[in-house]
Formats: sequence, C-alpha cells, structure tokens
Amino acid sequence: MRKPDTNIRVAVTGIGIICSIGSNADEVWTAIEQARAGIGPLTAFGDETFTTDIAAEVPADFASDLFARASEMKRLSRTDLLAIKAAQEAVTQADLDANTLILRERTVVCTGTSTGGLLEGESYFFERLVRGAGKTSASRVLQQPTSGPSDAVARTLGLGGGVLSNATACASGGAAIGMAADLLRSGHVDSALAGGSDALCRLTYSGFNVLGAVDPAACAPFSADRKGITLGEGAAYVVLERWDDAVARGARILAELGGYGASCDAHHPTAPAEDGRGASAAMMGALLDSGSTGSDIDYINAHGTGTLLNDSAETRAIVTTLGSEVPASSTKSFFGHTLGAAGGLEAVITVLALQHQMAPPTLRLQTAAQDCALDYIPLTPRPMVIRQALSNTFGFGGSNVSLLFRAS
Amino acid sequence: MKSGSRVAIEGVGLVAPGATGVEQFEQLLMEGRSGIAMVDRFDTSGQNAHKAGLIRGFQARQFIAPGKIRRMNTLSRQAVAATKMARTDAAIETNRYDPSEIGVALGTAFGPVQTSVDYMREYVEQGSSLAPPQLFAESVANAPGSHIAIEFDHRGFNLTLTQRESSALAATMFACSQIVKGTVKAAMAVGVEELNEITFSVLDKIGALSSNGAKEEASRPFDRDRDGMVVGEGAAAFYLDGSPRDGETSYGYFAGFGIARDRTASISNWGTGASAVVRAMSDALRDAEITIGEVDAIWASANGSLAGDRLEASALRQMFGNSVPPVVATKGYFGEYAGAGALHLVTAAVAMRRQWIPASLGFEESEIGLELPVNIAGRPSPLRNILVNSLSAGGGIVCAILSRQS
Repeated sequence: MRKPDTNIRVAVTGIGIICSIGSNADEVWTAIEQARAGIGPLTAFGDETFTTDIAAEVPADFASDLFARASEMKRLSRTDLLAIKAAQEAVTQADLDANTLILRERTVVCTGTSTGGLLEGESYFFERLVRGAGKTSASRVLQQPTSGPSDAVARTLGLGGGVLSNATACASGGAAIGMAADLLRSGHVDSALAGGSDALCRLTYSGFNVLGAVDPAACAPFSADRKGITLGEGAAYVVLERWDDAVARGARILAELGGYGASCDAHHPTAPAEDGRGASAAMMGALLDSGSTGSDIDYINAHGTGTLLNDSAETRAIVTTLGSEVPASSTKSFFGHTLGAAGGLEAVITVLALQHQMAPPTLRLQTAAQDCALDYIPLTPRPMVIRQALSNTFGFGGSNVSLLFRAS
Repeated sequence: MKSGSRVAIEGVGLVAPGATGVEQFEQLLMEGRSGIAMVDRFDTSGQNAHKAGLIRGFQARQFIAPGKIRRMNTLSRQAVAATKMARTDAAIETNRYDPSEIGVALGTAFGPVQTSVDYMREYVEQGSSLAPPQLFAESVANAPGSHIAIEFDHRGFNLTLTQRESSALAATMFACSQIVKGTVKAAMAVGVEELNEITFSVLDKIGALSSNGAKEEASRPFDRDRDGMVVGEGAAAFYLDGSPRDGETSYGYFAGFGIARDRTASISNWGTGASAVVRAMSDALRDAEITIGEVDAIWASANGSLAGDRLEASALRQMFGNSVPPVVATKGYFGEYAGAGALHLVTAAVAMRRQWIPASLGFEESEIGLELPVNIAGRPSPLRNILVNSLSAGGGIVCAILSRQS
C-alpha cells in the first residue's frame, strides 16, 4: 500500500468561494479588506419563530448563472448548488484543461458537509405531514444524503478521480482538504477539488438555538461579551495538485498546502475539552505533517466560533502549541459559522491572506475576554508578513482539523 | 516481498441482520441463511417493497452502560457495540498504544436520518425553540464516531465519511492510509446504517427496491431476474493495526485500495462506464503490488440493481476476460447499506480466515452476455487475495485488496 509521502509538496492552484460577503474570491477579499460583515436578518425561513433571528445568508438567486444540467438542477439541493458555484470558480482558475498532464479523469472531489440536502429533506417532511407519503414527490429529497454535493460537483464538472464526502460536523471541510492532500501524496489521484458546502436549514438553526449556542446579535468571537455563534451558509473549494505537476504544466501556484493534523478530544458529544488538548494535537499534527515548527507560523485563521467554551479552549490550545505571540483572527465574524463548509471557506481565506500578505480582522472585538489573551487582530485588517498560516476547524464530537498553508 | 505497507485486521465486531458478533455471523454465512425478512418496524402497506435486512433483538445494555445508552441514538449504540466486540476479538492489550495513536474512521450512507426526523417532529409539535437539544446533538453524522472516541478514549483522527454504498470502504481506506503514513498506530474502521421509514419509502418510490412481480421480492445480485435492491442496516467494526503483535493475523491484511468515479453516472444512479470500474480495480491491484492472476476471489458490489450489477459485470469481464475468478455477491445475506457496506467487507475477512467462500444468495442465472462465475454454494477455497468492490449510485467507486499474507 502506497503511503501518503509527506515529502511530496502539494500546491493550491485554484480557489472558489461563495458566502454572505461575496460570490467569488475577489468579492470576498474586498469585503475582508473593507471590514464589511455579511450578517443580517434571517430570511430563508422567516415564517418560523426562533429565539434568535439573524444569519449570514447567501442571496437567493446565486445559482442563476450555473451551468449544471437544467433537468438535474431541479433535483439539486441548495448545498449542492453552492458547492457547484464555488467549485466552478476554483476549477476555472486552476485551468485544469490547460495541459494534459492533469486529467479530469484523475481528479477527485472531496467535500465536507454537515447538512447536505437537509433543507430539502425538511420540506419533504413537512409536505408529507400535510399530504401524506403517497402524494409527496420524492425527487428533491434524493439529494438529501451528505454525499450529494460531491456527486453533484463531480457530475457537473465531469470529474472521474473519485468522490469522497466527509460529514464530521464543523470539521468536515478541513477534513476533506486533508484527505485530498493524502490522496495526492499516495498517488491515488493527480489532482483534487476539495472543500466544503452547507446551506442554512431549520434543523441546525433551531438546534443551535435550543443548545443556547447562538448569539442574539452578530457573533463577537473572543470578546468579553460573546454569547455564541451566528449561523451562516456557503461553499468553498481549493484545487490541489502535486507541486511538481503544477510547475510542469505551468500552473499558477497560489499557495502550498504544507499538511494537516486531525485529532479527537474524546471528551463530550458537543463541548470541547476545556484544556484545548484536541485542538492543540491537531495543530501539532499539522506542524509535523508539514515539517514546520511553531515559530514558522505567522498567522492563525482560528475556528473562533464566538461560544464561551470554544474561544477559551482554542486560545488555550494556541498558547500551549505556539505561544502567545502569534496573531489569530476569526473570519466567522464576517460570514458566520458555515458548519461543514467552514473548513473550506476558511482555507480559502487563509490562502487569500497569504497571497495578499494581509491578515483578516476579527470584527466586533472591542474588548477581549479575560480567558482570551491573544492578539486577535481586532476590527481592521493588518498588512503583515505571513510565511505560513494555520486554519483551524473543530466540530461536534470533539473532532479537530488544522490545515497548514505556506506562501507560494 | 512487497515494498508497501499492509494493515492487519486484528479484530471484527458486528451487529448484523440475523447475527450479533462474528461467531454468529460466520454461522449465518456457513448455513447460507439470509437475515432479510419482512419489515415490521413501520408500515409498508402502501409500498411496493416490504422486506429488508433488519436488526432484531439487539441489546445495547450488553455492551454499553445504561446511563450512556440514553445519550446515544440507534446508530451510536450499534457502532459502539460493534467497536467493543472488535476490541474484544482483537484481545487488545490495555496501554499498548497512547490514546492519541488510535484513530476512528466511520462510514455511513444516510447517517442519523431517523434522529433528524424525530427532532423535526418535536419541532413541529413543540415548536422550534422547544425541540430536545439531545436529539440535535445526535443528529450529526459523526455522533457515532464521537461516542466511540469517548467510550474507548481514542484521540487520534476521528472522521466520518459518507459516500453512499461505498461509505464503509472509503472510511477503511482512510484509516489504513493514516496507519501506513504513521499518523496513528491503530484505528477503528466502522460502518453503520439504520433503516428508517423515510429512506425506505423514498427508495421504494423511485423504484430502487425489489418488489413482488414475476418473482417474489428478493435480493438477487447479478441474477437475470433481479429487479432492485433490498436494503439493510446494522454496524460492523474492524480493529486495524499496522504492527500486529504476533506478526500475523487470521483475518488478513488490507494491502491496497483504488478509487475512481464513473463519469457517465447521473447524480443518483449507476452509469455505464465500465472503464472507470476497471481503473479503480487496477489501481487497487497496483497499490497491493499483485497481479490479476493473484486474485482468487471477487467480492462484488452487486446488489440486484439493474444498472449497477450490469456495470460491474461488464467491468469484471473487461478486466479479467475469460479468467474471472469466483465472484461472491453478499447482499443476499443482509441487503445493501448494511453497516454502510462494512458487513460486505466482514464477509471477506471471515472468508479469508476460513479459507472458504460463501454462497451468493439470490443468484440463479446470469444475464445473457454478462455471464460470470458467481459462486452459488459455500465451499472451501484457497484465498491469497480478495478483490472487494464497492460501486455507488452517483458514480463513486472504491476497491480494496484483502490479502492473506502481510
């Protein structure tokens, strides 16, 4: 069995993203530079009553320019469509067809998603309650499984290297990218489209509310008055290739994926270990996998959800692993917590930060909490030298993934 | 001498239709007895299909403390129970590895659909703000993997893969890759699935399930009269180790994997691109450093679907020509999705240990032009390498080589 060879470098040659602050990488980065958040009143299912009523939504008409087959478009979930939108941008930028060294037949799709087609599943469920099972069309619910986005992206883009979906709660997107890197390093595939996608749905909106984990105002990660997350939606992908292959075909390399680490708290179904042991292990794993040391890291795109427990545990983990000098920010303050997509979105943001040599800020951070004693880059973006950066994603069940990116 | 690494199966645990634990499961296979039966968990009277591979009589308290059972859904209970059995089967030495050196990769095709349904029912009846948070916590697909980590203090990677029929094999592939990479020393590879009324009725509605027609409703993999799948549920777990204690293992070794996607597949059905299946099978052989002639049996993905079985039969004939080794179709024992595909994999591990291949329940006669040497009666057979296939609706393909030698 070929082992993933960590000496093989992995290049990022394309990125695509859609979320509440933009429908492509340029729009998203402009919003970051302008410190402009995309959080507003919840409209997706506004007829429902929740204890909070804000979200980071993508405009309803985002899919109007997709070139997915019209007949199949009707069956795709919102999560599928978000995924296709971001994947198309990433593949276009990578220009995979520009050189026959990279074949679409050898490109794998790895997608992280937490909800998949749950939004459509809910509609099916409600309709069944009213009309009965026999009179309710099943066509829209076929894309309910969390494998849907990978299948839909691969089908739309004609990719044949395999499909692997990851549903590890909020660590899904980061895990998908890590898995893809190892498939490249072991030679099972020649390129990968990896990331995450999740649409807002009632179950998660209600669920985080009943857990008391949602901030009634826009989330304020790491701040003294933080009260929880703001739910968001979106999708993002990176195109990965072996570095030498990318150079050989003349691809523009945006950044290097140095490696990743994955761990589990083995502590609680929903709460992180307060000592941050799992988060620390994931970051250590990313450093080891990349052949880097803590002093190489200039910036961390933190998981930074805005919950009391996450932000203090993550801060503790960062201090334990990397010391208290490294700046870390939470871009969830811009586009909310996009759950299974978060690892994809924040990986793309990290690549953009490396490209622009500018660290995104943590919005609404007026006063940091006492248990959050790091430099969180408050309020405004910061031009700075960023050679290497970590992107953290942690999920329910204590699953943690940390990705390490380097400037190209 | 192979240059690549192989990963030993040190222990197996399972909750299967008709069997709990590997001993009962072996007995079921040896007797050629199917765990498929009439569905009695929910009403199927308005539907075309009425059978499934259902778990009956599973007692979670035999494996899990009562206080913990209450916090777990059915998937979590069965996954934890299967894991516990696999650890017992492997006779794991306490403290052999640090908790951070053991990972968990879990596969599930549909995940906790029933838990989501239960939550949404409360959402409707009680209101969106009063639905039970405990149900929400268990509605995430990785809840079973999380419970395994907590129960057994496994702090290595903990990922949940969901790739339809290939979910468990994909999870096993990832677990093995991390062991040979050195990220962990050992891992649990687990598959789990729960049959529920909504999934069953949707599959029935789109015509994916077998039903009474010219012949009685049944799982008939590769058979010319097949008319769809029979679905199943349950859990299976493998304790995988890169350095087995005595240098050998009775269940065999994962020696290689291959993946591909059939680009002709639609988003919810199998396609006709046999070359993609050949590519994945060939990649698995290459990964295992074996030749076609060293494959002694094929564990086919076949589940009785018209398109899926035809695709696989075409691919096997394309790859092996007139020398196709014995083909075993396992879904007649427990249905498709049973253990998210992990029970299919268990039958291969059991066969490797027994050096015996089971009957392909439900098969009588090949489709004309797609003849295969489908094994119809259990019999002893020397097995050096088994090629295990998993072809998903939507085009995903994962193949594995299970070898006798390290």
